Amino acid sequence: MKIKNVVMTLAAAGLVFSAQTSIAGTTLDAVKKKGVLSCGVSTGLAGFSQKDEKGQWSGLDVDVCRGVAAAVLGDASKVQYKPLTAKERFTALQSGEIDILSRNTTWTHTRDTSLGLNFAGVIYYDGAGFMVSKKLGVKSATELNGANACIQAGTSTELAISDYFRENNMKYKAITFDTSDQTRAGFESGRCDFLVSDQSQLYALRIGLKDPDGAIVLPEVISKEPLGPVVRQNDDEWFNVVKWVVNASIEGEYQGVTSSNAEEMKTKGNPGQKRLLGTEGDLGEKLGLPADWAFQVIKQVGNYAESFERNVGQGSPLKIARGLNAQWNKGGILYSPAMR
Amino acid sequence: MFSKKTAEQIQLETRPSGNGATAFYNNPKYRGWIYQSILFVFIIGFFYSIISNTLDNMSAQGIKSGFSFLKTSAGFDVLMSLIPFETTDSYLRIFMIGILNTILVSIIGIIFSTILGFIFGIAYFSRNWLIKQIAIVYVEIFRNIPVILQVIFWYTVFNALPIARESLNLGDAIFLNVTGLYFPLLVGESGSGVVYGAIIAAIIAVFIVKRWAKKRQELTGEQFPVLWSSLGILVGLPLLALLVTGIPFHFDYPALRGFNFQGGVSVIPEFLSLAIALSVYTGAFIAEAVRAGIQSVPKGQTEAARSIGLKESKIMSLIIVPQSMRVITPMLNSEYQSLVKNTTIATAIGYPELFTIFAGSALNQVGQAIEIMFMTLAIYFAINMVISLVMNHFNKRTELSTR
Amino acid sequence: MSVREFKPLPAQPAPDATTGPIAWVRDNLFSSPFNIAATVIILASLAAVVPGMVDWLFISANWSGTSQDACVKDGACWVFISAWSQQIFYGSYPTEEIWRVNLSLCLLAGVIALSFLLPDRLRNKVAVPAFLLLPFICILLLDGTMLGLTPVTTDLWGGFSLNVLLAAASIIVAFPFGFLWALGRRSEMPFARSVSVTCIEFFRGTPILALFFMGSVMLPLFFPADVTVDKLLRVWIILILFMSAYMAEVFRSGFQAIPSGQYEAADSIGLGYWQKTLLIIFPQVIKVSMPNILATFVMVFKNTVFLLVIAVPEMLQVIMSALSNSNWLGGHAIEGYLFVGFIFWACCFSMSLLATTIEKKLDTGHKN
Repeated sequence: MKIKNVVMTLAAAGLVFSAQTSIAGTTLDAVKKKGVLSCGVSTGLAGFSQKDEKGQWSGLDVDVCRGVAAAVLGDASKVQYKPLTAKERFTALQSGEIDILSRNTTWTHTRDTSLGLNFAGVIYYDGAGFMVSKKLGVKSATELNGANACIQAGTSTELAISDYFRENNMKYKAITFDTSDQTRAGFESGRCDFLVSDQSQLYALRIGLKDPDGAIVLPEVISKEPLGPVVRQNDDEWFNVVKWVVNASIEGEYQGVTSSNAEEMKTKGNPGQKRLLGTEGDLGEKLGLPADWAFQVIKQVGNYAESFERNVGQGSPLKIARGLNAQWNKGGILYSPAMR
Repeated sequence: MFSKKTAEQIQLETRPSGNGATAFYNNPKYRGWIYQSILFVFIIGFFYSIISNTLDNMSAQGIKSGFSFLKTSAGFDVLMSLIPFETTDSYLRIFMIGILNTILVSIIGIIFSTILGFIFGIAYFSRNWLIKQIAIVYVEIFRNIPVILQVIFWYTVFNALPIARESLNLGDAIFLNVTGLYFPLLVGESGSGVVYGAIIAAIIAVFIVKRWAKKRQELTGEQFPVLWSSLGILVGLPLLALLVTGIPFHFDYPALRGFNFQGGVSVIPEFLSLAIALSVYTGAFIAEAVRAGIQSVPKGQTEAARSIGLKESKIMSLIIVPQSMRVITPMLNSEYQSLVKNTTIATAIGYPELFTIFAGSALNQVGQAIEIMFMTLAIYFAINMVISLVMNHFNKRTELSTR
Repeated sequence: MSVREFKPLPAQPAPDATTGPIAWVRDNLFSSPFNIAATVIILASLAAVVPGMVDWLFISANWSGTSQDACVKDGACWVFISAWSQQIFYGSYPTEEIWRVNLSLCLLAGVIALSFLLPDRLRNKVAVPAFLLLPFICILLLDGTMLGLTPVTTDLWGGFSLNVLLAAASIIVAFPFGFLWALGRRSEMPFARSVSVTCIEFFRGTPILALFFMGSVMLPLFFPADVTVDKLLRVWIILILFMSAYMAEVFRSGFQAIPSGQYEAADSIGLGYWQKTLLIIFPQVIKVSMPNILATFVMVFKNTVFLLVIAVPEMLQVIMSALSNSNWLGGHAIEGYLFVGFIFWACCFSMSLLATTIEKKLDTGHKN
């Protein structure tokens, strides 16, 4: 009888883990069935995916997860966040542990073609740049010959800086760190003369310094780093959902639909706004989503501008300017395909 | 008349089954074979399913396989390498650099952890109360804190050093700053070969003297001052060669040029922090082993040594420590092996050893987890195998011959 | 002539120079020139370092507040720790459900206490099944689905409680495995022996970081394509295998400490292999191995920190991700590391004290 109890307990414990094992069928169906979206995010990247003291996740990458959850499940909070290191992010997606990878991942040709993955758009146009101490008196990256560089390990920046220095016939020494906080500490202590990172991170790292005004960001941007969410290949339905959720939030800004006026626009807006919000047309149906999918995204998460300002822009400690990430008609290159 | 019964008869009578044979499944020999066959089938099935699943998954996910990636260019820089490296070099070279850096930090770690371990292990028996307390505090603090935290701590300490232009300076020759430790490099000119030859000759001479002295002691009982005469040979012979050849050496001093110090020998803080963390952490365990070893030597040995009038310092070095080595050596073996395994924590501070640059950076760029992990693990096994062989050889020499 | 009676003189007090604090100081601190020098150097360096440290750690430290702005003084910013304390200890586990984590920890403590307090004849009958069931009961409790509680998925588990529970659950499950491997290593069946030796040597020879890494990057490839296995479960499997190898070696030395007379006596009263092993040998092996088992537990407990390299939200990983939160970018790394270091030190040190106590208590004089 005791043995029977043991076996029962073991079996029950096994079920706990196996409950979420099956990913048969399309991801969209699986997510609807589970009632929750599992989303791979970074372990902690200021402004993109970070956890607060209460365990709540926020950030630009996190907003993609929340947007997809809002569109598919009608509730932006139904997300299971799986923090991943750079090394395990693709494996986690390939093996089906996560439904979508939104972890400041650069869209490169190799990754898109050889990993069995698809990039579903760009949510932030980034590029690697340099931060140096003001005391050094350096005005341009070309004066950095022979200097030590602080780099975060496992990023595409590692390759970009090597290319840049080779191209300009300069030498450097790479000091790599595991986390961005260590990179900042290394720069602050003088272990390296300059810090190379995605521009978005440079600003975050700079305000973390004891004396933020003592460091300057050099004008050079040495690489293209378009960051976006990633899904598995051969699942076009899910690929479309993620792609158009990203586009809906960009289009929301373009059309002037915000989380506060979305309700009103639903009935009073122009045809374009109504089509986006689902009161006209059948955009949702074609994606296999409810008609008000984009409405839910904008209502619960906000349009791109709101999300940007809240997480990395003026409403955040990072205060990053829109720059390239402004709408195409406002000096940036954000452009959503037509919503019709 | 039971005294007439043979042993065979008794055995026959006590057997339970009627026909004198047990069922084959009760025979331990056959049963063993049955167990082993079940285990065999299970293991074959286990590996079959793992391998077939892996192959399926890899083809489904379009993951490449094979070792051709080793020839492709890495494209990223490595902080420290013992062999020349350019960012255009191949992953195979990255692999070699990783191995060499792992071996380097392991050797340094093993040497210094042994020194620390013996100092603090013996200090435990010091007559000075403060020294004994320090030995206890050292062991209890450093072995009870995860080593990864310790390496981060030491790295933080190095990060607090002054920047390159404000280096701590010792006689314009040795510099210490946040980018590392710099000291002059001895460069040989023509004629330096004679001096190198003299050093080698001196070492050989020392060995000969040692053997001769041992033989003489065995024959006549007279001791010969081996230590002093060896030192004399080791210092005198090269010195003589130096004077004869007119000192064919000069120092290459490190100097601040551009952003950093150039010339001389430089040791990066990543290496220093890792080596210190590993030495201090493993040293605490070795100190514990040394203490246990010394305590295992019976008290009578100390008393006997005192009774024949040996000095206290000689008792430790001639009587106690050699006997305690019997207990200490096997423990040293496992501590050295765990030190080598612990070099992987370098990944927290970015010292480019095997795990960090090959199973880390290279894997991240290439994505062929199976091949890379296989190669990495093989190296750790090989290094530990060598340590095991050396220590077992050493163990044989210290074992009691009566065993 | 009378013989003078022997009258001992009254005992004199010991000379002043051999008792009392001054003598103690002289004997223990200044007994030789070398000791004098050592004492002076040690005291001087303590005097140089300690006051500054105490000042930074306690006196000018910032203790109260909820955000980074509260850290105005020069000393340590303990506000960072207190603001993140729930994350540090419980991870993202929902606040209203934290009692389940606490209950699990209490159950663990209870079972450990039980196994020490029970009388000998009950101990094996009650404590062994209680130990073996404990990890699974804890999992059911923490997950909650089967017990009708609010389900809490494994991605929300974390913090220091995860370090403790993961280490405990691993070593408990590793017990039977380790015992089997140790038996296999002693077995006369060549194939079983070589399998055991291979397992033990593989998991002992591999750096734990590499094993964790395999658990996160390679294990998913080993399972069929339509099955995903929870990350925490994969980590648990890895830890169990790793621990089993170490436990097997602990048991092996335990076996070697059992006098061969015990085996022969068991054989002579006609016990079968398993009866002999489980009834006669096992209890004795457990007894002599207890200090080593505790040492192994301390090791795995410290090793759970390595999980940060694969982003399992254990204590140090929580600190690391807190450091990258945009509201806490001031760099409180030192405070975080010190805190984690102190917690681990306190736990491991008390366990090593416990091990020493048990060693003394168990030393019933069987050695030689």
